[in-house]
Formats: sequence, C-alpha cells, structure tokens
Amino acid sequence: MMFAALTARLWYLQVLASQTYVDMANNSSFHWLQVEPERGRILDANGGPLVDDRQSRVVTVQQQLLGSDPEGVLFRLAQHLGVPEADIVERMHDTKYFDYQRIPVAVDVSLEDILYIAEHAKQFPGVSWDQQSVRRYPEGELAAHVLGQVGLISATQVEDPAFADYGTSDTVGRTGLEATYERFLHGTPGSIKIVVNPAGKQLDELGGQRPVPGYDVKLYLDAKLQAKVERDLLNGIQRARSIPDQDPTNAVTNFVANAGAVVVLDPKTGGVEASASWPTYDPTWFVKRMSRGEYSERIGSRAAGDPLFDRATQASYAPGSTFKPFIALAALDNGVTSIGSYTDCPSSWAYRLDPENPFNNWAPYDQGLVSIQEALKVSCDTVFYQWGGEFYDRWRANQLGAGSEPLQRGLRGFGFGHEPGIDLPSQNGGFIPTAAWKEQQNQEDPKAFPYGWLPGDDILMSIGQGYVLVSPLQLASAYAAIVNGGRLCEPRLAEQIQTVDGARVQRIGGQGCRRLPYSQQELDVIQQGLAQVVQESGGTAFSAFAGFPFDQVPVMGKTGTAERPGFDQNQDTSWFAAIVGPPSDQHVIVVMVEQGGHGSTTAAPIARSIIEDMYGLGDTGVAGIERVD
Amino acid sequence: MDLVAGRVWSDERRPIRHLDPVLLATSMLLAVVGLFLVYSATNQSLRTLGLDPSQFVKKQFTALVLGFVMLVLVAAFDYRFYKVYAGFIYGATVVALVLVQTPLGASPSGAQRWFTFGGFQLTPSEFAKIALASMLGAVLSELRTSEPTLSDVLRVTMIAIVPLGLVFIQPDIGTTIVLVAIVVGVLVVAGTRPKHLATLAAASLVLLFGAFQMGIIKDYQLERLIAFRDTKMDLQGANYNRTQAEIAIGSGGLLGQGYLNGRLTNLDFVPEQHTDFIFTVAGEEFGFLGAAFILALFAILMWRAIRISYLSKDAFGTYVASGIAAMFAIQMFVNVGMVIGIMPITGIPLPFVSYGGSSMLANFIAVGLLLNIHMRRFT
Repeated sequence: MMFAALTARLWYLQVLASQTYVDMANNSSFHWLQVEPERGRILDANGGPLVDDRQSRVVTVQQQLLGSDPEGVLFRLAQHLGVPEADIVERMHDTKYFDYQRIPVAVDVSLEDILYIAEHAKQFPGVSWDQQSVRRYPEGELAAHVLGQVGLISATQVEDPAFADYGTSDTVGRTGLEATYERFLHGTPGSIKIVVNPAGKQLDELGGQRPVPGYDVKLYLDAKLQAKVERDLLNGIQRARSIPDQDPTNAVTNFVANAGAVVVLDPKTGGVEASASWPTYDPTWFVKRMSRGEYSERIGSRAAGDPLFDRATQASYAPGSTFKPFIALAALDNGVTSIGSYTDCPSSWAYRLDPENPFNNWAPYDQGLVSIQEALKVSCDTVFYQWGGEFYDRWRANQLGAGSEPLQRGLRGFGFGHEPGIDLPSQNGGFIPTAAWKEQQNQEDPKAFPYGWLPGDDILMSIGQGYVLVSPLQLASAYAAIVNGGRLCEPRLAEQIQTVDGARVQRIGGQGCRRLPYSQQELDVIQQGLAQVVQESGGTAFSAFAGFPFDQVPVMGKTGTAERPGFDQNQDTSWFAAIVGPPSDQHVIVVMVEQGGHGSTTAAPIARSIIEDMYGLGDTGVAGIERVD
Repeated sequence: MDLVAGRVWSDERRPIRHLDPVLLATSMLLAVVGLFLVYSATNQSLRTLGLDPSQFVKKQFTALVLGFVMLVLVAAFDYRFYKVYAGFIYGATVVALVLVQTPLGASPSGAQRWFTFGGFQLTPSEFAKIALASMLGAVLSELRTSEPTLSDVLRVTMIAIVPLGLVFIQPDIGTTIVLVAIVVGVLVVAGTRPKHLATLAAASLVLLFGAFQMGIIKDYQLERLIAFRDTKMDLQGANYNRTQAEIAIGSGGLLGQGYLNGRLTNLDFVPEQHTDFIFTVAGEEFGFLGAAFILALFAILMWRAIRISYLSKDAFGTYVASGIAAMFAIQMFVNVGMVIGIMPITGIPLPFVSYGGSSMLANFIAVGLLLNIHMRRFT
C-alpha cells in the first residue's frame, strides 16, 4: 500500500504532470539582476597597485531564514568562527539591512570553517557563504591615511540622488582617495536579464548589460619613496625620544615626539610624491573588522595616539620660523623692506608704543645689520618683529576693512588660511588671524579679545606664532611656489584617472595653478637665504647638514621651532622645510614632529635622511645636534 | 550417530552458509546509489567554493566502510547474546540521549541532537531506534501468554516512552515518528489486540495535544506542518523546499535528465539536498524509472526483513526483525512522501542514501542484526 501510494504519486509527478514541472523549471519569469562592478585600483606613480581587490570567502547571514532560534544559530556561528557573538549581531544591525539581504558577518573565513557549516547546514539555517571582493593593500600599511577606507553605503547615501546607481549593500569609499574618486573607482553596475524559477532561483542568463569595472586612479605618490619617507620619519621620531629636552620649564627629560608628518611635493605640478603621518594604522584592520577590544587598543586608546588622524593634511600647527620666507615676500611686495636693504638684528626689540614689553630673539646676542638673506639664514626673529610692527602700522593707518590687511592678504595668496584643495575629502585649512576675526570673537564673548587687533598679533604672526596655524601640506605647497617661479599649484595626489590598460580618462594633476605677485628677483633673494640656512656656516640647519655633498644635490631649507602651548609637556613643534635637487627637477620636503624640540635637532635630520634616500647618497654623516631655531 | 553425517549436518548449519545475499546486496546497492547521488548533489557547490568536489562523497564512503565493518561485527556474534544485553544497550542509549541535552551535546542552545568527537558527530537518536527494537523484542519474547495483556502493553509503552520523550524534546519530530512506528510494528507482530492499540493511540493523541499546549513543539515545526496543508502560504519559507523538490522531480520526467545533468540539482536549488532531499536528485536525473528503481530496492529490503521476521527461530528474532522492518518502512515512506509532497516535512533521512554518518552506521547495524537472525535460524 505504501509503495503503491509513493509510486502513484511519482507517476503523477514525473509522467502525467511532468510537462507542467518542466515548464515551471524552464519558462520561469524574467528578472533584472543588479550586478556590482569591479572596483578600480589605486596605483602609485610607477603603476604599482597600492589598493586592489582580492577575493575573500565571507560568511553571510540571512535574518529571514534564521528559523525559530536565531540566537542559537548566531551563538553557534560565533563559537565556530571564534568571534564574539556581539560582533556578529552588531554587524547585522550595523547598517540599514533588510531581512532578506545576505549580510556578510565574517570575511576571510577558512575553508575548513565553511566546510563545517556546509556539512552541518541544519545547525546553521540562514547561514551561507560567498566569494566577495574585498580591498587588498599590496603595500601593507603604506600611505594608509591617503588611500582611505571603503565601507558599506550609508543610509543617507542610499537616499542621495548622487548614489542613484547604488544598491543597498554596495561598497563605497568612505575616507581618503577612496571617497574622493568614488565616482571613478566604483564603475557602472550592470543589470542582467535572468530566468528565475517560481521560487526565485536563477536558471539562466539572457544577456543585458554587464557591469563596467571602475577606472584606476594613478597617483603622483611613489611607493618606494613613500616607504623610505615613512621609515625615516619613524626613525627620526624614535631618535627624538632619546634627545634630552633641556628647556628648564619642562618637567620631562626627553622629547615626547608623539607624532609627526612628512609631505614631499613636486613644485611644478603640485603632485604629492609622498605623504606620511605617524602614528599610522593597518587598513586591513577595517577589512577584517575589529572587536571592541582590538579597536580600543589599536585606535581608541590614548597610547595608540589617534592613528587614523592624518597629520600631514588634517592637522594644523603654528609654523614657527618656517613661515619667515612668506613674511619676507609679503614685506617685499608691500615695500616694508626692499632688496639690498639691511635691518638691525638685536637680541630683543620692542614695539615703539610699548617699550616695556620687548620681544626677544631666540639668540641672546646682537647680530648687527643683516640682509634679507641673512635674516633667513640665522632666522632672526627681531628683524621679522620689526616688519610685523610695520604691517600693524600700515593696517592702523588705513583700515580698509576685512581682508584688506596687507600681511594677511599676502599669506592667503600662498594658500594659508583656507583649504589647500588637495583631492582628499577631509583637509585642514589652517588659520590666519585677522582683526575681523578678533572682533567677531569679541562679539560672541565680550571677555574674549577686549582690546581688538594688537601690534603683538602682527608681530607674533611674522615669526609664525600667535594664532597662526598651517598644515604640513599647506607649508609644502607654499614652499613649492617659491621655486616654481611664483606659481602656486593646488596639491594633488592623483595624476590621472585611467583605464585598466593605462589609457588616460581624465587628467587630475597639474591644474589649478595661479601666479603670485612676486618677481623672480624677489624669489631669488628668498632662495639665496634658504640655501644659506643649510649650506653656510651660521645657518640654522648648517650643523644638521654638516658633511652633506651639496655639490651633488643642492639643498635649501628653513628650520622652525614653534611653541605650542596645550600639549602635555608644552614641547615645541619641530619643523623643517627643504627644497632639494637641481632647478630642473626640484622637490619640496616638509617635516613636522609634534613635541620634537628644535627644527634643527629633530625635523632637519629626518629631512636629511629622506634626501639621502631619494638620491641614493647613503649615510652622509651623523647630523649634528645643535639647538638653534 | 554417523560422524560424517553429523559433521555435514553441523556444517550445513554453519551460519555463514545461510547468509541472506539478497538483503546484503540490496543494502549495499542502496548505499552505492547514495554515493552517486550525494556526489551529484554536492560537487557543483563545492567546486564553486574551490573545494574538492568529492569531499562529501569521500566522507560518506568512509561511513559506508565503517558501516560494513559494524555489519560484520554485529553479524558475527549470535544475536541471542544481544537479548541478554538488550537492557544495557537500552540503558546506555537513554543515558546518551540525556547527556546530549547537557552541555556535552554539540549545541549549547537550540536543537541538541549530537555529540562531537573530533570531526565526527554522533547522533544518539539514530542508535536509539535499534536499541528500542532490541529492548522491546527482549521484553516481549519473554511473555508467557500467547498474546500481550494490557499490562504487558503498558510495560512496553513505559519502556518506549523514555527514549521517545527524550528524542521528542530535542526536538526531533522525525525520529519520534520512527520510534513510534517501531513500537507499533513490534506490538502488532507480537499479537497485541486492536483494542489495546486503539487505547494507546488515544493516549498518544492526548499527550501530543499536551505537548502543543506546553509549547514543547517549536513554532517552526508547527509552521512546516501548516505549510504542508496550505501551499500558498509561504513560497520562500517552509514551502520553499517542497516546491523546489516537486519541480526537480517533476521535471525529471520518465527517463530523467541524465546523471550530473539535473539543472535544479546543479544550481543548488533544493536545500538539504544531499541529506533529507536526496531523493530529488534521483527523480530529476534518473526520472520515474530511477526513482521507481530506488523504491523497488526498498521494497526488496522490506520483503527480506519481513521474511527474516517469519523465518526467525525464536520470538526475539521475530520481534527485532519486525521492528527493523517497521523502521526502514516508515523512514522510506515519510522521507520519499515528504519529497514528493504527500507527507509533511519532518526531517527524516532516506536510509542508506542520504548523506550522514550516524544514520549510515545505524542502518548497517540493523542490516547486520537481520543477517544475524537469518544466518542462525537453524542453530
């Protein structure tokens, strides 16, 4: 009887009604399937990939199919994969997922683990696996800050018309270049016409539009140089930590040197050849996803030192004496001083209306009359105080309203005080204080700045102190203009957008340049001063470059030692800006170390190591440690 | 006594000479068919994962070899010894069923059905079927009366209810049904009065109702039972398996689409296809003829089991053989019935064919017992 029933039913299904089922299996309904395109790569200047894709085995969970005991399933899954259950749950509730979506809860799952799940499917209802592209970083941590991260499209982006092409589980660039060039990297999703049977499973593909892979982004950044720069920066920071801080007001014995940054620019194009920030992080942390504990240890903790923060482009600091070339140029442009004139360089100088409160030079002795070149070479503060005082008087004499202050106008021209326009979604514009700003602050809080714009504001600004803030990138960009015939180019990481074969789709770099109002003669004076800083005895970086073969590689530069109240130990920000190479092929290098002490002791030796590496000079001698501005 | 005749006589009664080759061949054939079907069901999805496409088949083959070893071992010793130890085997199984509910069982939450040893899972409920058949056989064969009295029936029920209840609360409805079938099968063969059987049935219904009331039966099980009645309710959920299975089998037609050519099979349509829904592969790729061939193999299997039950020298053998016959019958019927849409989805593997080590071992132990009873019907 049993067999009769079964056989009868089989006969019905397979012989009598078979055609119906064959039709159901074959002529099912058509559907359009969205297919996500392959994401483009980010390449270095030599075409080597800094970011590309790799296939990863991911485990997915479909909430709808978890069955009667979702907690049990997730618990088992978490135990099996060796991750905290909370992580999986968090991941599932993380973004605006729908119940029917296959939510990836773990990447890079081992074959064994997937096999176990496959074999014990009954223990894991709703759990599945897939091959997915995840971002790969062939150079590891290299240039992590610049490259940025991808992530799942956010709920607000899904609503955004600019992301109309995107599905609810698409990957988008969240930070860095991944975000800036999202529209090129993402590619065009395809839609494929497929045959689907009544239960919604794909049977066949009937053409349609295949997805178009994203374009590659080719950078000016040179991976080899970047690696050297990162290593030299870290070495320099470690070296700074072994140097005693002899400032008696500081309680600690050595420099803290908690962080630093380096930017290398090509002045002709504004192309960023290297951009490093330390402490840094490993972008694969985000691909694999961290547990709460790992996150707080690697990123959240105080000891981690805010590694996601890109100090090269997102941070700004008082520039100290590295600011002096731009003050000097503004002074020349405004007739505050002139080529060939000499200015007194006493050990201290007071504004004429306030003789009781003199401003000191960093060197405690009178250096007599100095030229503009010599003022840069010895970094004479008192010379620049005088020019700052003169600028204050000009402003007082004819207040033409906001934005008309001659010094600030000149500084803005170099890109200070506003975003440098680099191709990154988040960048620091620094700050150039003005009388209007002080007034506004005072209106908001009457206790703030009750005396308005003061002579000291202009005087301190002229040595890169006071309220002035610049980012390492801004400083590098401004130095580039000094050797680029007074042409300031917006800094760019990307040179061009190109196809997989390397054919250019769109030019990115070398655009947005503008001419500044400085004659070549004026620029030459500044360059002469900067060369003396490094190459002549008495220059503030002379000892740091002792024994350097300038005949092989010309080097100009400027040290900076910026007071930065507010840090733990109130130690100075150490700066060095360098221009290296023959006039036909120059590079600007800006080095900054937070709480690193004098520019000549910490930043300049780092710049020297980078230059040695760039030109393959080897070790050209131990950089002297002389504490000069 | 003529020594030569005596030796010939005893030689003729040597158990090995009375092996049931038909039973042995049928069960092995089913298992081999199973290997082919498991390969067809799994090779594509394993290949897409970049894995060894015969991974599952290899494991299943290992289980088959182990099963055959178990079969030889079980057949080697006189089955009447098992009657002596039936109580121990039963007790051990009950202990295992209890332990699987403790944290020793593989899953600390959700359904608790198995122990994990190294890479292997041991599912005690698979072995509970055989243990129960042996225990009931042992008890019923000791009755002095020609048919079981009501108190005998109650005693048997009490013995059965312990593993039954433990399997039921796992929850494993499928195995519960199999255990019930074994109890009923053995009781019927033992000559239980229809009146007593009816009383038992009524009592079970009351118990079942109580279980629903107390929420022991989980929602998803209810959902599957409801989905069986109302096919329009949920195409993607509980009925997804059923719809897919029917389409796969129906599209197989009379002759099938050819081995490894089943489109729905290859596209990994039917969930749990290598385990509970393995029959769909046969239906799609070998058509009505292939499916009927497998049914025929089961028919032979059952014919041999029932025949052995008749031929058995003693009551214990008869009862154990009938229990095993009932076990194979209900598993085959519920599994195939579920796949072709005339029974609700309960999660019972197809004996010898479905992927699964514990089930394979238990089935070969059962065949070993049958062979044992058959071999020693003259000694």
